[in-house]
Amino acid sequence: MTSPVLRLSGVSVGPAQAPILQDIDLELAAGHFLGIVGPNGAGKSTLLSVIAGLIEPAEGGVALFGQPLRRLNRHQLLQQVGFLSQMHDDLPSLPLNVRHVVAMGTPRYAAPLWRRHASPDDVRWALEQVDSVDLIDRDFRQLSGGQRQRVRLAKALISRPRLLLLDEPSAALDTSAQERLYRLLRRLCDEQAMAVVMVEHDIAAITGYVDSVACLNRRVHYHAMKGEQIPEDIWHAMYGEHMHVIAHDSRCIGCVPGAASGHRH
Amino acid sequence: MTLIAHFLASEVMRSALLPALLIAVTTASISVMILAHRLSFLVVGVSHASLAGLGLAVVLALPLLPTVTVVAIAVAWLLIPSTSGKLRLNNDAGTGLLFAGAMALGIVLLSTTSRYQVDLFGWLFGNILTISHGDVIWLYVAAAVVLGSLLLAARAWWAIAFDATAAAASGVPVSAYRFMLHGIVALAVILCVKLAGIVLTTGLMVLPAACAWFWGRSLGALWAISLGISVGGTLVGLLVSYAYNWPSGATVVLTLCVLFALSAAGAWLKQAGRQRRQRA
Repeated sequence: MTSPVLRLSGVSVGPAQAPILQDIDLELAAGHFLGIVGPNGAGKSTLLSVIAGLIEPAEGGVALFGQPLRRLNRHQLLQQVGFLSQMHDDLPSLPLNVRHVVAMGTPRYAAPLWRRHASPDDVRWALEQVDSVDLIDRDFRQLSGGQRQRVRLAKALISRPRLLLLDEPSAALDTSAQERLYRLLRRLCDEQAMAVVMVEHDIAAITGYVDSVACLNRRVHYHAMKGEQIPEDIWHAMYGEHMHVIAHDSRCIGCVPGAASGHRH
Repeated sequence: MTLIAHFLASEVMRSALLPALLIAVTTASISVMILAHRLSFLVVGVSHASLAGLGLAVVLALPLLPTVTVVAIAVAWLLIPSTSGKLRLNNDAGTGLLFAGAMALGIVLLSTTSRYQVDLFGWLFGNILTISHGDVIWLYVAAAVVLGSLLLAARAWWAIAFDATAAAASGVPVSAYRFMLHGIVALAVILCVKLAGIVLTTGLMVLPAACAWFWGRSLGALWAISLGISVGGTLVGLLVSYAYNWPSGATVVLTLCVLFALSAAGAWLKQAGRQRRQRA
């Protein structure tokens, strides 16, 4: 039995009287696709930042690939983690080709100028993963939101991470681009045994692809495996009373076929 | 041709040429990072704060350029954006404070000395032609430090400029690199003050990369274009200043402005042409 890719044990963030995250336990095996849902301000992005080593938890510990994350091994462990933060509008101000953007994803990129970084083959491979080799010579600033997001994903994939963290990756995407992205992530989990943690707010869109869903609002309220119905009282605990849970089935327009899920309105 | 021959025959111009070109190479290289990290405010703030360093050096009888450099780097570190959420000056307020405050402090300090040791006009508007032998050695050392740091850290700075969060998440020590960048920019600004003076330093530190921004599509290309613009602008500027007896620093910056306008026009024409082709 290999050690889990990620283990959070009793993680709390923020002051004890008003914690942002409280007592989070989570374990993730290789090839597992975990979706994290929750209302705005639930601490979803904070949780990803903790896993990515950007925020140190006030209590509890983070272990990556069986090793506790510490200051000394941080650099080495984080090289195996890909992180796709939320997209900012002011991001693409630098004049850059897509090939250079993707090459930036290798940890070697930050090395001195006389050292080599990503090879053209690596860049091509990463773009192939996201079906975007045709964009390789385009100016990153002139891409559409969906194209940009795929290139950013290629940038995160080029170092072939064992764990991929995504913060609302579909925010700039239309429905079909969103589905392509989820299918791609599913394939990476299945074929490369990559573990994925993805924060999204639309649970209905992701249930067809993920292995499990964690409902987060300061604490993990529920961790549902695939096919499992999330009880209505959990939804109320997370989003408040003014919320109706409507179960969709395959006849429902706009639903992913085969996904039985709660959809919040 | 005779103008160039005259220019090269002039003792003053010959001795100014090499330092001027070194300044051009250094500023062009760092200007790419200044634009990428949007540090023009830092250039303005630090170049004005250098007057406070100048005042301190004169009043306390300290060596001039080292004192000014130390003050400049200290000021640059004050302006590092806060990542920890602790109280720090916001960039706009900080620049305004340094712009006015440090300059005023410098003037007051300088006024307390009756001796006129400092060429205040030269410091404000620059004069590469009065550069001394000691200055030249200092210039070589500072330029070597700036260019060496770029060799070491240019790609890391570039990655941070593109996406600081992603860089931090891949294990790059972002705040250490920011510290280094602000220090190096301050050093480069002081280097530049000697040529262009406080008032015109911003032009030399921003314009080369601003021109390159229209054409380059990678760090290497931006750097090369920026170097070409800066070196070309300096040569042409010095030549014109010699021919018409104009102030050297101001002429160089005006030449760079012309090159910027040409770049902007060229980029606009290119884009208009592409749009016309797409419509056809």
